[in-house]
Formats: sequence, C-alpha cells, structure tokens
Amino acid sequence: MDLDVHLAAIAAGDAGAFGRWLAGAERPVRESLRPFAVHVDCEAVLQETLLRIWQVAPRIENDGKPNSALRLAVRIARNLAISELRRVRTVGVSQEMIDSVPEPSPAEPPDPILRRALEQCRRALPLKPAQALAARLESGGAERDETLAERLGMRVNTFLQNFTRARKMLANCLRDKGVAVEELA
Amino acid sequence: MTPQERDELIAAVTTAHRERGPHGEIHGHRAFHDLDDQGRAAAFEQTLRLRAIEAAADPGSLSTTARAVLARLRGASPR
Repeated sequence: MDLDVHLAAIAAGDAGAFGRWLAGAERPVRESLRPFAVHVDCEAVLQETLLRIWQVAPRIENDGKPNSALRLAVRIARNLAISELRRVRTVGVSQEMIDSVPEPSPAEPPDPILRRALEQCRRALPLKPAQALAARLESGGAERDETLAERLGMRVNTFLQNFTRARKMLANCLRDKGVAVEELA
Repeated sequence: MTPQERDELIAAVTTAHRERGPHGEIHGHRAFHDLDDQGRAAAFEQTLRLRAIEAAADPGSLSTTARAVLARLRGASPR
C-alpha cells in the first residue's frame, strides 16, 4: 500500500485526503517512537509530527519509492523526540536512538470482523464504563478528561477508573471472540 | 502510589487530548511526568491498542489522535 496516492490532494489542501492518509500512517509513526516511550510523551510528539506533515505536504518530493510522506513523518517524529529528550535532559541520547530509522509500513484498514466484534463488546459493557468510553470516543481528543467527567457527573478519578474497566472488559470480550488484542496494533 | 492510582495515571495519559501553548505547540500530558518508566511504557502500549480499537469503531477508520489532528488543522489558519 502506497499512502502517497493521497499526497497530491493533501498538498492541495484536502483535509479528507489527509484523514485517509492518517488512517494508514498513524500506527507506523507511533510505533517508530517506541524507543522514546519512557522518556517523552509520544502522543504529543506524534500529533506535532502529523500537523507538520500537513504543513509541509506541498513541498514533499516523491523520491521514486512508495510512502515518501510516511517516511518523512517517521524522520520528523524521531527528530522531535530527540529534541525533546535533549530539552528535558533526563537521559542521554544514544547513538542507537539517532541511527534507528525504521522502514515504516502503512496500517491495514480495520477488519470488518473486528468492527462487528467491537460493536457487540461495547453493547455488553456496564453503563458507567460504557459512558466513559463513549465520552472519550465522541470527544475525539478535543476535550480534557476533567470536562468529560463533569459532563457525566463523575469525579475525574472515577471517570478514569470507569475508562480502565471499559478497556479491560473490551479486551477480554474481544479475546473471547477470537480477536488477538495484543496484535491489534 | 497504589496500583489504582497508577492505573488512573496510565488511563489519563492514553487520551488524545493535549494542551497547547500560546504559540500552538503541543504539550505533554501532566500525568506522563508522574509515571515511572514501566508506567510510561504501559501507557504507550495501551495507547497503541486503544487507537486501533478507536479506528475500528470509527466509520472513517480514524482514531481519536487522527480526529484531534484534523480538528486542529481545520481550526487553524490556511497554510
């Protein structure tokens, strides 16, 4: 799969095309940050990286190999992570961190069987965990947990406990349905 | 820190919501700094799986991270 099929539209400002690129690119870029996971908040690095790809898309040149934008994203993410490491100075930057640039592969679209299993498992959740999970999903990262908790009439630690219950129950339910949860990512 | 408090911090870090600074820079989550290395690694792996589940739950196969990024660029000035 070559995500560069979306590149011309992204460069022209098509946010929908960028969404389709994101659907395949997010996972490999996030996975490329694993060596930094105990030192920097990879979610923040990842979001900054993805926004930068949108900004520089009109200037990305195809080098004749597939997934040029994805490979650039992996390099940007690694460089941002190294910059953050140096800024906080909690740990030295090893040569391995500097050298390791994995060859990324785009994520496959979600399996329809997983989608069906997930719907069934969500319906089986108790009310409060289901509410916490739904609040996170519906918010789409736009609101703080404090805001979501308040809307549900929960204290934030209760909200987080319910979210954790939902995550664990979903994982167990999916396993019971034959979904290899550990391999989802 | 009790195991429950640790689980709450990990759950907090798994959100796609991140605060932004005055110049638009994305800040790390406060709870990330309260976790030890094992907790941070657990948060990373849980986030990876959660995003796959979120993408499967979304008609456009978008995780909450992707939706947060799209919302930010739609709200930003044109490039």
